[in-house]
Amino acid sequence: MEARNVLMLAGREARESVKNKWFVLNTISFSALAVLILAIAPEKGALTEGAGYGRTAASLINLVLLFVPLVSLITGSGAISGERENGTLQYLLSHPVTKAEVFAGKFVGIFIPICLSISLGFGLAGVGAALRGGGGDASGFLMTALLSALLAASLLSVGLLVSVYSRKASRATGIAVFLWLVFIILGDLGVMGTAAAMDLGIRQVFVLALLNPAEVFKIASVLALSPRYEILGPVGVYAVRTFGREGMVLLLMSIMALWTIAPFGLALASFSVFRREEP
Amino acid sequence: MIDIKNVTKRFGKLTAVDSVSLTAREGEAVSLLGMNGAGKSTLLKCVLGLLDFTGDITINGLSVRGGSKQAKALIGYLPQEPVFYDMRAIEVVRFFGRIRRAGPGECEAVLEKAGLSSHSQKYASELSGGMRQRLSFAVALLSSPRYLLLDEPTSNLDAGGRTDFLRLIKEYKEEGNTVIFSSHRLGEVDYLADRAVVMRNGKIVFDGEPENLRRISGAGTKVSVRVPEGDMTRAEEALARAGIAVRSRNGSGLVIDAEEGGAAVPVTVLAETGVPVLGFGVEEPTMESILEGAGGNGS
Repeated sequence: MEARNVLMLAGREARESVKNKWFVLNTISFSALAVLILAIAPEKGALTEGAGYGRTAASLINLVLLFVPLVSLITGSGAISGERENGTLQYLLSHPVTKAEVFAGKFVGIFIPICLSISLGFGLAGVGAALRGGGGDASGFLMTALLSALLAASLLSVGLLVSVYSRKASRATGIAVFLWLVFIILGDLGVMGTAAAMDLGIRQVFVLALLNPAEVFKIASVLALSPRYEILGPVGVYAVRTFGREGMVLLLMSIMALWTIAPFGLALASFSVFRREEP
Repeated sequence: MIDIKNVTKRFGKLTAVDSVSLTAREGEAVSLLGMNGAGKSTLLKCVLGLLDFTGDITINGLSVRGGSKQAKALIGYLPQEPVFYDMRAIEVVRFFGRIRRAGPGECEAVLEKAGLSSHSQKYASELSGGMRQRLSFAVALLSSPRYLLLDEPTSNLDAGGRTDFLRLIKEYKEEGNTVIFSSHRLGEVDYLADRAVVMRNGKIVFDGEPENLRRISGAGTKVSVRVPEGDMTRAEEALARAGIAVRSRNGSGLVIDAEEGGAAVPVTVLAETGVPVLGFGVEEPTMESILEGAGGNGS
């Protein structure tokens, strides 16, 4: 795989993303809501006290959970299936590039604009927090931004995996929206429902929560922002007492990295080895 | 040299290309003929490494298997229906120029060669079908590949555009490059091809010079001559004396198989013997009749 080709293909993909009206609308909405939440949020929050970066980041967690997975899953799911459907993928592959380069270029070319979008939202909110006097833990704020990028990477990988196995972009988008519902909307309910129905212990509930990258992001962000891990409930207390606060953040970040690497590797192998043909 | 050895491509139970062997030598133009579904486009996609296949395909000794970049760098490809990213024409050429490592100024040069300089700022989606075909041709010429694969290159062009486009391909071929093109048009084969390869049900059923294809298929030029009804017998006798056989007789019309380039001979014979010729018409053989005769009708 040549880095030169990957960067060139990523550049085209990134320009395409930035031109995409849906992507632009999401970025504007995310940034505007980030500023709005900062403006209307109470001075004293559940996670942090006083105006500052910590409270700002805490306000952004739910916003990130709503927007970042949706953009990552949908953009990723259309990346290959869309080109496959309109014929540009086959034409591109008739030139001297490999499928691995095309795949890596797509990942990088979509991930960078999403990171820019996250940076814009966090940047505006950070500036707002600074204008209101700053204060609080800036490192927790930055950690939440980093975790948001990790969440984007993991769900982008999942989206690309969907894309590799979809002949039609519309089908891929449908699957992506379904996965978003599963990860974001049904995630909490699923864990609670399964725990109640199967009478699971704290340890099993904790493991179940780790199977959802959005849950992992949420737990890691809360731990990064607040020393009061009790707010995570008995499962959070169990986890922090078992692994320690720093150990937990590290473990959760590793799980998010795994959620990126595993679907990425599977999608790459499927695209370039197992499904080599683009008839 | 493009060397195709015993290549078979199956889609499920359908065998699209069946044990095909074919060699395109340096500077040669090979036309792939056959009805829809004969396997022409599939064979070209195998040569590009876009499809898996059994057998062996090499370009200058490099195997194309698995979409080899080195092999693909030697080929310029023009698909039947070119589809581009949402970019201006010049951006399309520059994008693929970077992939193909085109030299400085080459992108503008190929656009000019394809006759698209004045349309370089238009988005690809704004170009007509013919212009998109030209844009695809410009991209195919980037980094001066020695081999061009063209999948029905003139299918979207009008008569004028077709002539210009064929001239461009001929110029490229006359520079010593190799062209493999699929086509439905006999005129293109006559104009461009050194060799005609007829495919039927995935197999090659004819491989030889285009003139031989006409001869073997038995599909020649037909001349229809209209003479007064009372002079029909005299006309037939005059033609027979000149060694010209009448294929069929219909009212006041005679249908005659003409020799290559000799469509006017029956009319001249009749005029010299004093048989009045009321009218005449020349019917060139169609691609379908030639393919049918050569066994490539797909039936």
